Amino acid sequence: MRFNSYEFMIAGRFLVNGRSQTVLIILGIAIGVAVQVFLISLMDGLQRNLIQRTIGSSPHITIAPPLSSPLPLGIGGNAIDDYQRPLKTEENEILSWQRYGDYLGSIEEITVAAPMINGNGYIEKGRSSFPVLIKGITLPEADMIYKFNKNIISGDPRPGANNVLVGAASSEKSGLKVGDTFYLRNQKGAGDYFSIKGIFDLGSSAANNMVVMSLDRARNFLDITGISSIDIQVHDVFAADVLAENLRRSLSQVKVESWQERNEELLSGLKAQDTSSAMIQFFVLLSITLGIASVLAIIAIQKSRQLGILKAMGTNDKSAARIFIIQGFSMGFVGALIGILLGLGMAGLFMFGTETSGGPAYELKITLTNILLPAVLAVLSASVAALVPARRAAGLNPMEVIRNG
Amino acid sequence: MDDIIIVDKINKFYGNELVFQVLFDINLSIKRGQFTAFIGPSGSGKSTLLNIIGLLESPASGNIFLDGQDVSRLNKDEQASYRNEKIGFIFQFHYLLPEFTALENILMPYWIGKGRPPGKVVDRALHLMKRIGIKQFGGKYPNQLSGGQQQRVAIARSLVNMPKIILADEPTGNLDSKTSNTVMELLKEIIGENKTNLVMVTHDRDIAAGADRVIEIVDGRIKSSTT
Repeated sequence: MRFNSYEFMIAGRFLVNGRSQTVLIILGIAIGVAVQVFLISLMDGLQRNLIQRTIGSSPHITIAPPLSSPLPLGIGGNAIDDYQRPLKTEENEILSWQRYGDYLGSIEEITVAAPMINGNGYIEKGRSSFPVLIKGITLPEADMIYKFNKNIISGDPRPGANNVLVGAASSEKSGLKVGDTFYLRNQKGAGDYFSIKGIFDLGSSAANNMVVMSLDRARNFLDITGISSIDIQVHDVFAADVLAENLRRSLSQVKVESWQERNEELLSGLKAQDTSSAMIQFFVLLSITLGIASVLAIIAIQKSRQLGILKAMGTNDKSAARIFIIQGFSMGFVGALIGILLGLGMAGLFMFGTETSGGPAYELKITLTNILLPAVLAVLSASVAALVPARRAAGLNPMEVIRNG
Repeated sequence: MDDIIIVDKINKFYGNELVFQVLFDINLSIKRGQFTAFIGPSGSGKSTLLNIIGLLESPASGNIFLDGQDVSRLNKDEQASYRNEKIGFIFQFHYLLPEFTALENILMPYWIGKGRPPGKVVDRALHLMKRIGIKQFGGKYPNQLSGGQQQRVAIARSLVNMPKIILADEPTGNLDSKTSNTVMELLKEIIGENKTNLVMVTHDRDIAAGADRVIEIVDGRIKSSTT
């Protein structure tokens, strides 16, 4: 398709001449693009925010032995004889965890790999008991994942010996406070006294039911030789599943699980949100397209006299069609530009309006893709919409105009 | 090859269900350098013949030769560019583009065919405007001009590409008699100066009297022709 300079001139004059129509349709495109830029940025920001909250203080990838489930509660004490006791093998504990640690430490994408001991137990207080998860950690590795330092609500974030950290939920249920001493029983019935050094709030009820102690103390308390799992955080959380897949291939003896696999419901919820925002986008585009098509169709009818004259003077059908394609494209282009500015303005206003003392409540994710995608789509649909009047212009017979005056 | 226009057995019909024949086996040749007038009552088919010669309508049968070339064999796009380069049109209603100034209207045929007009072409347009007395209206839009002024702009426009043939359909039909005479005089002069061939449709015998050759068309047939 070769454009001739007079086509641009005529398209331009037609647009300037039908000023109010042109302004209206450009405004329509601009609002459509602005809404999309804003909506996409908001959705994107909210999703990232949600994911950050969900997995920010939890492992992105967990490496566990194949039979990692802790012994069921209730089977315990002296009722279990030695021969019934599971053997300590690589099947239910990671015995050679130092080796794994070295290997994982050498992988670029991994920010931290922390050895963990997990088990079940009860806090006993008077005649009542409260089930808890017992977690043995090493510092500073575990702190990089669970951020006890940041999430401590009272006391000191560093456990040691029989000084432990207790989750906010457990503390609330049992009425224990910093400095209190309590009796903790493991799943086999054995127990010991511990005192509370700090209370933390990690934001989820499961995590807030934990009793956190040092790795060595937990190993000793739960009678574990190796470790229960290795918790990993990575640089790019959205690439965690890919890395997990690679680890799975190279570490055949253990179970590797990414946060995406653990949070399938969250992710399918986010997918549904994506679908609905794609639908909103589609319908906004559709209405832009229909609007432009109808306005240009009117312009084509209004200008049929001029088109007839131009054709008599030698404008061919393709050229007449291009005059309208140019009009559609330019309205789309100008509308998209204004729309981007408007959208960014809306985003700025939104962040300013929802700002709390600690900065904006929601972080809008304004990326080049989030801006350019709706703009490019709007320009494309404006050009496609122009095909309708372009066909009409191409098919116009100059004699219709000349014969009828 | 002395003939600028040869019309060879042209037939033309209008209508789909009620078919009506407008032109019957028209044969005609027009010599180079002549001012030819088609006269006849309205509905006689004289305008249709002019439009067929101007490649605006296609005949049902027959051929048209312009300047020695069989133009009836050209496709739609080729006909469009032929119209642009070789034929100038002047219609009864002035048919200027209201979005463009008088000068821009005059330059439009050049712009359509060859792109932005160079200074040489603009000079030619300005010269034509000066010659026909509308030099001062170059920057005005058609709705700011009188009927006579608009028709002069249309005459200048028809000449800007220096076409071989000018086809005019009742160019003065919409003007009062005084303006009409002035425009006709001007048209004849400028045709002579530019060495182009004028074919004009009119129902006004006074105007036709000024032509080199008058061809009378009645009911789709040539009734009489002077030489």
